[in-house]
Amino acid sequence: MFNQLKARFGGPLSVGIMALIAVWLIGMVILPQLLMVDYSFKPNLLPSEVGGLKDQYTLDNYATLFGNSIHLSIFFKTIWSSVLVTTLTLFVSYPLAFYLAKVATPKQAALCLLLLIIPFWINEILRTFSWYIILAYKGPLNALLLGLGLIDRPVRFLSGDGGVLIGMVYAYILFMIFPIYNAIDSLDSNQVKAARNLGAGWVRTHYRIIIPHAKPGIATGCIMTFMLAAGSYAVPALLGSPGSRWFTQIIYNWFFEGGDWNQGAAYAFLLLIICIGFIGLVMKVFKVGLGDIAR
Amino acid sequence: MDSSVHLDNVVMRFGDFTAVQQMDLKIESGEFFSFLGPSGCGKTTILNMVSGFLEPSEGVVRIGGQDMKGVPANKRPTSMIFQNLALFPLMSVAENIEFGLEVRGVSRAERKKVSDRLLELVALEGSGNKKVSELSGGQKQRIAIARALAVEPQVLLLDEPLSALDLKLRQHMRTELKEIQRKTGITFIYITHDQGEALTMSDRVAVMSAGKLQQVADPISLYQSPHTPFVASFVGENNTISGKVIECRAGEAVIDAGLLGQFAGRVLNPIEVGTQATLFIRPESLQLGQGADFELVTTLSEVNFEGSYLTLSSQAGETPLNIQLRANQYQEDMVAGRHQILSFRAQDAIIMAGEADDV
Repeated sequence: MFNQLKARFGGPLSVGIMALIAVWLIGMVILPQLLMVDYSFKPNLLPSEVGGLKDQYTLDNYATLFGNSIHLSIFFKTIWSSVLVTTLTLFVSYPLAFYLAKVATPKQAALCLLLLIIPFWINEILRTFSWYIILAYKGPLNALLLGLGLIDRPVRFLSGDGGVLIGMVYAYILFMIFPIYNAIDSLDSNQVKAARNLGAGWVRTHYRIIIPHAKPGIATGCIMTFMLAAGSYAVPALLGSPGSRWFTQIIYNWFFEGGDWNQGAAYAFLLLIICIGFIGLVMKVFKVGLGDIAR
Repeated sequence: MDSSVHLDNVVMRFGDFTAVQQMDLKIESGEFFSFLGPSGCGKTTILNMVSGFLEPSEGVVRIGGQDMKGVPANKRPTSMIFQNLALFPLMSVAENIEFGLEVRGVSRAERKKVSDRLLELVALEGSGNKKVSELSGGQKQRIAIARALAVEPQVLLLDEPLSALDLKLRQHMRTELKEIQRKTGITFIYITHDQGEALTMSDRVAVMSAGKLQQVADPISLYQSPHTPFVASFVGENNTISGKVIECRAGEAVIDAGLLGQFAGRVLNPIEVGTQATLFIRPESLQLGQGADFELVTTLSEVNFEGSYLTLSSQAGETPLNIQLRANQYQEDMVAGRHQILSFRAQDAIIMAGEADDV
């Protein structure tokens, strides 16, 4: 790589570029992460005790989670809810992605994409707040449903997991739609016609032809949505009630309210490890390789 | 079983654009029928109307006498072979062939029997477990045919399926298609812009231009007796000499082509004295030297050697004339600038109203 750069930009400039990349990668990505790994294996000590007898590597921080039944239940609830968010987002996104890729005229598709993207020009916190308003007990959605006579009394959307789910599906829908859209878009329309021509109905055409083709896109979308959902902070903090806390909130509390960075780091790594493991498992089950996703 | 296809006064419009003008055409059961025309003439639209991917704006498509209106593509007794074949790349060869049967709920064992039989028909026994990507162009072609035949269609629709193949393979596949058609007795509707394909394989050919049916005839009549200037110049090569009609007799007319002289030729459509007309004469109907009914004095401009035959391009005044000779008629003194006399027989020429450039 260095030789290619050198051929193009000359020696000194190439060294400069490489040095900048090295500073960025090592100084701003790798070292902070390693520092966090180091933190997570050490007890939370007073400054005076650092370097003393107590300053030894230990697994205590990791063990804390398994001794705390509340944290543990929130941990698994977070994973489970993220699965739910991912599934819901997939169900909302797939028909839309198919419509955009194969049904809509270029003009309709462009308009639709624009409508999808514009809300994302606004900050995530603000978007989440707008959902807070929409879903409020005396908010417009309840007013609409009451007005239509669909419900007798307002629904408390924000008291359980419902609000969090809705907010997250909305927040991550683009991360799901675009990979699937790209995948379906690359499918030769004659494949769909051929399947129809051979007698396949729409359901079979989708599950035998379109979904297998779009599988890498679906996998990419699901992984992104799942990771983002599991690591989300703003949506559960704003739309979730105290009864539906997210594991990220506990990590946040360790860092900034408990002041225990070591414990927080350990929790964060546990979440990361479980998420990666979970994704690996799902990829295995659905027979998706890493190469498919990079495609 | 009746597997005729009847396009009953069918019209297809897309907005303001009329892709297929009113057309009434009956394709007989078990016929090998081709639509021949340049790209954009509406022939693929016809295929899409028969297969059910498009509903005609007006008129009715009947297959085996049954009105197909409102019958979706997946319920029609047709099967299509696509230009790019559209084999399913994620399925094995056998799965591809069996797909139509899988859809119909045929048991696995039964499907296997059918795919084995079809693989034998297309001479690819034992390739069932291969991936589609492992096949060569010609093999893919044959799998596409097998897949289309597996559902036992009444009508097989072929959308220029040979256009991606090289010449040798194309010629081979023509024979094979013809053979399969003969064996199965299914109605074949073949779409192509390649007149060679249309003429060699078809029982009848429909020539189309700009959404309009020009002529429907068997290949030999189409070549020998074209009814419109478009057919005369699109099917095979033709030289054109324009002039004014000065005389009309039964089945014959005489035109005055100014400095070139006066020529007689056959007339298929009635024509009146005084109208502007074009005389069509095939390159192989022109002969070197005097001897036939009419003579033309020409200057040779180019000699093209094509293997079994050679083409001489020459000029008679402003009119370009091509002559086709057998390769063994070549002479050393055939060089550009040579003056030579060409002649042709009146019965080989056809006179039609209008300018050849109108097409």
